[in-house]
Amino acid sequence: MIVKRNLTFKILIFLISTDLMETVAQFCFKKSVAGVHFLNAGNISGFFLFLKTVLPSPFLWVGLITVLAIFITWATILSKIDLSVAVPVASFSYVTIPLVCSIFLHERISALRGYGIFCILVGVVLVSASTRHKEKRA
Amino acid sequence: MKANIFLIIGLIALTDLCDTVNQLILKSTIDSFDWHIDSVKKALHLVWQLTKVWRIWIGFFLSGISLLIWLFVLTKADLNLAFSLDSMRYIMIAFASVIFLKEKISLARWAGIACVVGGIVLVAMG
Repeated sequence: MIVKRNLTFKILIFLISTDLMETVAQFCFKKSVAGVHFLNAGNISGFFLFLKTVLPSPFLWVGLITVLAIFITWATILSKIDLSVAVPVASFSYVTIPLVCSIFLHERISALRGYGIFCILVGVVLVSASTRHKEKRA
Repeated sequence: MKANIFLIIGLIALTDLCDTVNQLILKSTIDSFDWHIDSVKKALHLVWQLTKVWRIWIGFFLSGISLLIWLFVLTKADLNLAFSLDSMRYIMIAFASVIFLKEKISLARWAGIACVVGGIVLVAMG
């Protein structure tokens, strides 16, 4: 019997930490290919040149270890809450990634994107609140 | 080179379908264990046990396929279009959760999912 559990503060912290780790991973992967301008996917020697540049990058390895940590955390989260809650709440990375890009990579956030970020936040709050409602009725 | 819009939609639907099936496999396997995870040691043990389930490897394989299709889509389509369309994964996950995992989605949760999808489209267009 699977007991449906509500979204506790602790699980929310886990979800936010997977998003932050996701942000770190994306940032590391972006950094690890930063010096590569010559990727030619149709060319075998171009591909090996790409690997030769990317594999020694410490950013790549930090990124990969982060991906493993994300999987462990995600498995823990799924053992505790509905999939239809975990996935939308995890869209929080659409909020954290633009913020990190704007701070560390100096990319600009447009007004439209700002509204979108706000919309996602409202959605995440609604989905989170929906688990609390169910818990009361049960 | 711009590819046919229907091809792009189809390919993105395919990546999202792969990811959805992967998440369904992961969630249903973890549910079948029915463990209470309260320590890092238990979480690591859970992941170790997961690697022994063959279905999980189908899931990993599907997410690999999904990544390859996604990388292909990114070479063919505009980033903002690709990211907007990719938000259909939230709708697929929601329906899959109701149909296969018997999760109950309240009106508030549907509204929240709609906000997330709308928000991602805005972020992608911005």
